[in-house]
Formats: sequence, structure tokens, C-alpha cells
Amino acid sequence: MLTLHAITKRFGDNVAVDDVTLEIRGGEILALVGENGAGKTTLMRIASGELAHDAGSIERGGAIGFVHQHFLLVSDFTIAENLALQRTWSFASLRKLEDQAEQIIAATGIELRGVSRRVEDLSVGEKSKLELIKAIAKKPRVLILDEPTSVLTPAESQELFAVMRRIASEGAAVVFISHKLPEVLEIAQRIVVMRGGRVVVDTKSMTAEELASAMVDAPVITSTTPMNNIRAIVGVAGNGQTELAERFRAEHPDAGLIPEDRTRDGIIAEMSIAENLALRTKIDAETLIGHYSIKARNAKQKAGSLSGGNQQKVILARELSRKPRMILAAEPTRGLDIEATAFVHEQLRAAASEGASILLITSDLDEAFALADSIQVIYRGALSEPMPPAVAREKVGALMAGLA
Amino acid sequence: MRQIAAAVAALVLLSLSALAFGRSPIELLQILVSGSIGSQFALEGTLLKSVPLLLTGLSVAVAFRAGVWNIGGEGQFIVGAIAAIMAARFGVIAALAASMLAGALWASIATSMRLWRNAPEVLTTILLNFIAIHLLGWCVNGPLQERGGQYPQTDAAAAALPQVGELHAGVLLAILASVATWFLLYRTMEGLRLRATGFNARAAKWAGIDVDRQLVRAMGISGALAGLAGGIELLGVTHRLFERFAAGYGYSGIAVALLAQLHPLATIASSIFFGALTTGAGELQRTAGISSNVATFGEAVVILILILFGSWRARD
Amino acid sequence: MIDVILHALPIAIVASTPLLLAVEGEMVVQRAGIINLGIEGMMLTAAMTAVLAQHATESVLAGFAGGILGALLVAAIFGVFAIRYRADQIVTGTAINLLALGLTGFVYQAAGGALFAASAMSEAAQYVAVLLAWIAIPAALAVMLWMTRFGLRLRAAGENPEAVQHVHAYRWSALAIEALLAGAGGAFLALALSSGFAENMTAGRGFIALSIVIFGRWKVRGAIIGTALFGVAAGLQYTLQAMNIGLPFHLLLAVPYVVTLLILCGIAGRVRAPEALGR
Repeated sequence: MLTLHAITKRFGDNVAVDDVTLEIRGGEILALVGENGAGKTTLMRIASGELAHDAGSIERGGAIGFVHQHFLLVSDFTIAENLALQRTWSFASLRKLEDQAEQIIAATGIELRGVSRRVEDLSVGEKSKLELIKAIAKKPRVLILDEPTSVLTPAESQELFAVMRRIASEGAAVVFISHKLPEVLEIAQRIVVMRGGRVVVDTKSMTAEELASAMVDAPVITSTTPMNNIRAIVGVAGNGQTELAERFRAEHPDAGLIPEDRTRDGIIAEMSIAENLALRTKIDAETLIGHYSIKARNAKQKAGSLSGGNQQKVILARELSRKPRMILAAEPTRGLDIEATAFVHEQLRAAASEGASILLITSDLDEAFALADSIQVIYRGALSEPMPPAVAREKVGALMAGLA
Repeated sequence: MRQIAAAVAALVLLSLSALAFGRSPIELLQILVSGSIGSQFALEGTLLKSVPLLLTGLSVAVAFRAGVWNIGGEGQFIVGAIAAIMAARFGVIAALAASMLAGALWASIATSMRLWRNAPEVLTTILLNFIAIHLLGWCVNGPLQERGGQYPQTDAAAAALPQVGELHAGVLLAILASVATWFLLYRTMEGLRLRATGFNARAAKWAGIDVDRQLVRAMGISGALAGLAGGIELLGVTHRLFERFAAGYGYSGIAVALLAQLHPLATIASSIFFGALTTGAGELQRTAGISSNVATFGEAVVILILILFGSWRARD
Repeated sequence: MIDVILHALPIAIVASTPLLLAVEGEMVVQRAGIINLGIEGMMLTAAMTAVLAQHATESVLAGFAGGILGALLVAAIFGVFAIRYRADQIVTGTAINLLALGLTGFVYQAAGGALFAASAMSEAAQYVAVLLAWIAIPAALAVMLWMTRFGLRLRAAGENPEAVQHVHAYRWSALAIEALLAGAGGAFLALALSSGFAENMTAGRGFIALSIVIFGRWKVRGAIIGTALFGVAAGLQYTLQAMNIGLPFHLLLAVPYVVTLLILCGIAGRVRAPEALGR
């Protein structure tokens, strides 16, 4: 269905994909697994033709559908109008738009009602369905899904898996990019692990431990003792976390603030590390770089050229070194590898043990349970009752889906 | 450097455009050069023209660096001059201070409208330019008109900047302003916050900066610089107000700032370049009858080339 | 009071026809996601080329064609930078205005008398133009933007360009439409409302148009109402003059711009601009 032969792709000095050969067959569900920066999305974007490769060759057996991680939808338009954008250039009138939209949706076998609703009024799960419908409507021979469950509730993820199985049984190939090991083990018939731009494993069956250790170089560190004063708010992304964070910031301007989008809201890419730090702390940059093990040439290096993990360290250094009494940490380990994640957790625990009270907003349940001693679920802007972790464990799935 | 290439390319294009009007490009270039730096007279003219350009350039640089679109240099220049002539009876220093205050206040009209009504300052500052022009027209035809009542202009100002030959003390003041702006931007917390806000307002908010207040202060400084330009031009060169006093200095400041990549010290060199261009264009008009609008045209070409090279943004 | 306004309305409508055309053009372009500050320069250039064309051919129609061509030329330069090279639209627009100012000033001085055109448009022709600008064109634009697939995609280009294939094509189309309208507006200004070209004759109409687009919330009916409101309010300067009311001449000249500032202040609360405007 799709053959990639010796594909290489560079972005400047960074080799994102390194001599990868991969054959994807019809009828199989393949999971493409790896940590952030392993090259999974880049490889698939090359496969679908979105990105040009620097070396190698590609053979495609038909149309390729790509469900992106970030929605390519026009929020102001309705479902029907968004689907109308896909077809060929024409001056035709819009009267039949809604009928056509319903036909398209019916043909994919996915349930999505109310095609005259505007996208901005849809739930995150429904938006994700619309993206899926857009991709499947082309009747692709290969369907690629990039981290599709990152914004879905457990129930919605199951619905998605059912669709994936159906499509595979009809002869198409399904590629599922994910870093969530439990799901991978549930749905995949074949697992390909990427690390540092290369394929390191290609197999039909693995245990969870084998999978975890194939993904990283260092051993996995997990600590399960929650500290005091850490309150976690969990929920599927898009349920009001951003607004909650901004309200917190408005109410506590002197708190330590770790925003959820570090490249857009956290560091100022065009300014140096020293300048970024100086914005909020009087401690000199060299000291902080050493203290927080920030990997950089020197304090004058532009913050934008640091890796994600090191950028997060700059933000932590800037905020935590002031020893604030309150801290807001929104998705503090999103996109970070295991080492960086462990570092962030360590810093947060240290701050809490020194008396700071921390509000942790995260969509990563494992993180919440590892750190917090009180958990609330946010759904469509409303917060549930605070629960201790033991109680939360049972209820969290239902609460995140809006039931109970 | 790309900046020098852009300036040179613009001059080349400018000269070539002479062909469209049946003139020799070489001749045009020769007159431009001799008219701007070919004699002591020309050099003095260039330097005198550079002063207001340096200050309006600084004005734009500070604003753009903070992320505010201050296109109102023209209007701030005018009200600065009006305030200067009115305060001149209290001495030169008072007049200069008044010009800065007036410029800052005029700019603040736009800032207030942005904060309270979400009105985009890129439009309000331009509209205020037109209003200021007519305000000037009213002044020189009405309350501030010269005693004789003959021409639409004021009497000579009650004070003047000290002179050294043909040059006036404003040259020194402008350079001082340039250094002071550099110091502000790179050696103070205020400057750090200002630059941060310009690079990334969202991240600045998350870093604890009150972005709204920051913008107000940035626009205030920007307006004050442009107002000072008007005051100095009045007290040092023209000594009286008349219609068309501003003659595009405010808009030219944009070209000056962009060629300098918004860097306060580089603005000195940039303003001399455009000062030379303007003076040379004046000579072109006198000797070859080619409209001095070539200077405006030249400024636009420089900006477009800088955009093409992607080298007009602040890059410290 | 109502009397005065009703009396002033017809004159205001004719006088603000160039402005309305500019508003309509800029609205289309902003719906596609582009802020074109250079519309001022576009109209100014169009005014000049319209007069040159009319002078050379003695034909008003040729004059309009000339105006549109001039506007298209300016639009092409703007488009290369803003669409093809994705340059900052505000800086580009400012440069375009300077370019047009310098160019038209240059040609004006070089051409001497050739740019003084005796009144060119007959009253009948003016009425046709006004009807087109205030009724036919807005209707056509409304149908195009909201009832065709082309319009849907054009608007999508202004909301979420990543979701549209061939975004550039739609943006260039929008720019061409703006050039057509702004070019006609500049031509009408020079040939009907003035006796030829004068330096800087557009006097900020482009920027006023930008303000009205915002006030009208990027909608066709908002464009018409906004321009009419502006036309009446700005026309007050003549009424007041005629009535010899207190304000001196020069300050009255400032009235249109003060009115525009007030219009911009009238955007209370959040106005929902096209999401990707300027991107």
C-alpha cells in the first residue's frame, strides 16, 4: 500500500528522519511509536506528500488520508461548510450543502449529527470526528492518524478504534501515531518504534516493558509518593483549562506561572536566556543555568534555539527561583522526554515541600496521580469536587466524559 | 551587510527610474551625491535634514520595538512644534520640554482609544496626522498668525537654539537622544520589558508584565521623540511655523527606523543616509527640474527592498 | 434637524461614492485575511492614471479603465510582497503609500497642465456610477461572498488559511477585486468630484475606508450604512460653513477625521475580525 525506501530528512543541522525504510501493507493497523522528536510525525508527513524528503523514494498505492493533531477547521463555519471546502473549485450555490454533507458523513459510517452547527460550538470530540470524516471521505488506501486520542475521552477513543478496525478490515492500511503505550498495545497489530529519527523495532507483538524500554535510552523513573499542597485539575484538552489558567494569573499576578504553551507564551524566543530570566528574577543567569542544568552554550544564547526541555527549565528557573508562595503549572511536561519530565516533577515536588501551594493543570492522568494529593476534573468549564487520588481513580474516566 | 545592500540597491533603482523620464541615470546619481555631500554647504544641509529624521526615526523604532504601530510621527511632530512656539517665551528649555510633552500627549490619544475602545492605533495615529495638519493650518491662519497678517505663517519664535555656524545645538540633542534611547532599551528594566512586549506580548503577560501600561509608556516615549523633532526643527531651522511645516518627516522616520533595523544607534547612520537623499533630491529639483518627490519614492523603495531581504525587524 | 440631514443625504451619497467603493474593496480583501493599508496609495494612483487616460482619449470610460489599471499595478506590487513573500502587511502597505505618494507627486510636477481635466463626467454618468456603487455592487458582493463556493473559500482564507487549498489564489482574487473597486473609486473622485488630479487628493480616504470596514463589521450592509453615516457627518462641515457657524475653516477641514475617530470609538466591546487577518 505504501513503501518508504531509505527516507532521510534534515531541518538545518537536525536529522529528523535518518535512512528509514518501511513497508505498510493493506489491512493492517500499524502503531508508530516513539517519544517527542523521534521523527514519527515528520516521517508520516513525508509519506503523505505534505513534506518533501531529502533522500530516498516513496511508492504509494492510492490516496492517503491524514488526520492532523491540530485541527484544520474554520471555527466560524458550520460542519457542512467545512466539508464543502474539500471539493473542487466551483461557483456552485450553497443550497445543497447540508444534504451533501450528510451524504458524505453517512458514507464514512461515523456518527456526527447537526451539520448546520458551527464548529466553534462543537465539543472537542466532535471536532476530532469531523477531521476524521474529512480524511476518510477521500476513500484513502492509507489512513494516518497523528496522536488522535490526545483530546478524546476513554469512551471516544474506543469509538475511534472501532472505526479504525472497520477501515482496516476493508483493506486499507491504518497508521496510528502515538506515545500512549496502553492504547498502542490494545489496538495495534504491528508496532514500529522510532528513536532519534530511526526505526529501532518492527514487530507484531511486544510486552509493555519491552515497548517502554525500546523507546528510551535511560531507565524509566517513576515516583509514586504524592507531596502536600499539590492540587491537580485534569481533563481532556479544550474544556476550559486555558481560561482557568488565565483567571488564576489575573488573580495571582505574583505567583510562579508556568504556561501550557511554552514556545508561544513561556519564553521570548528572540531574547537571550539571560534576558528571559531577568524579566522576573534578580538572580544572575549563570547561577541559574548551573542550578537547573540548562544545556546551553552561554547565557547570551537565544532562548528560541533551546530544546523544549531546556526552554521549560528556563521558565522553571525564572519562576521557581523567586520562591513564590503559589505556583501555576499548566501542562508542564507536555512534549518533554522522560528525563526532562522527571526533572520538572522533581522541581515541583521540591517547591511544594518548601511550602508553596501548586495548582497543576494537566491532561496527563499519570502525572496528576503521581504528584497531586487532591484531584478535580474539569469538563466544559466546570470543576468537579476535589477528590483524593484513590477516589479519583475510579471516577475520573466518567467525569472527563461528562457523565456522573 | 544587508542594510547597506538595500540602501545601495535603492539608489541604483532610483537612478534607473530616471530613464523612464528621459534622463541619464548617471547624471541623476551625480547630482544626488554632489548635492548632498559634495560641498560644505551640501554637507551642512544634509546634517540639518538628518536631525529631525534621526528623532522621528527613534520615535518609530521605540514604538515598533514595543509592538505598537505608531504611524503618527507626522502629527506628533506638528503639535510638538506648535507647543514649542507657544512656550518659546519661557526660554528654549521650556519650549523643548513643551514639544516633548505635546508629542507624548498627542500619541496618548491613540493609546487611550486603543485601550478603551479597541481602536487599532495604526489607523488612529494616521487620522490624528490629518487632524494635526489642519490644526496647524488653523493656527497659522488664525490665532498664531504673524502680526502683519499677510502670509499663513507665525512670527519668529521668541527663542532659538544656539548656533555654531550653520548648524544648531539640535544636532547634539539628537545624538544625545539616540544614546539615551539606546541606554533605555538595553540597560534598564523598562527597556527590557518594552522589548519583551514587542517580541511576544503573550509571553510578556505570563512573565508578569502589564502589557497595557507598557504600551502606554512606549507610545508616550515615541510621541515625545517625534514632538521633540518638531520642536528642534522650529527652534533651530525654520524659527516660524507655516503650512506644510512637517513635509513628511514623520513618515520618513519609518524608513529611517527600518533601515536601522530599529536599533537606536544605527538610526544615526540611517538618518544621515536619508538626510543626504532628501538634500540631494532638493538639488535635483533646482538644477535638473526633477521633482524632489524622488526622495519619498526612494524611501519607499528602501523599505520594500528591506522587506524583500527580510531585514527590517529588530534583531539584537 | 432631520430636515437638514435629509437635505444633506443625496449630496453626501454622491460625495462619498469613492469612499464606499474603497470600503467595499477593502472589505473583500480583509475577509480573505489581508489588511491593505496601501489602499490609500491605490486610490491616489488610480486618480492620476484615470485623468491621464481620460485626457489622452477624451473618453470617460477609458478614464475609468485607466484608473483601474493604475490600481491593479499598485495591487500587483502589494500582492507580491504581502501574498507571495508573506511579508508584514502593515509595513508593506505603508511603503506602498509612500511609493504612490512619491510617484504621483513626481508625475504631477512633470506633467504640468495635463492633469487639470475639465469636468469630465456627465450628470447621467455620475448617477449610473452612484447606483452601481450603492446598490448593484454591494448586492453582487453579498451574493458572491455568502452564496457561492468561491466566496466560502475566500472567507475561509481569512479565518483559517491552513484549511484552504490554494489560499494564494483566493487572496489574489480578492486583491484584484479591491483594485477594480478602488480604481473605480479613484477615477470617480478625479473625474466627477474634482477637476482633475491634485497632489494627495485622496486625503486619507483609504484610511477612513479601513475604519468604516471595521465599524461595519466586515459586512456589506455595514459598509453602506457606515459610509452613509460618515458622508452625512462629514458633510456637516459644508453645512456649518454655509450657515456661518463659529468653527473656523481649517478646523472644519478636520471634521471628517474626527468623525472617523468617533466611528472607531464606536466599536464598543469585541469586534470579531476575520480570524486570520494579517496572517
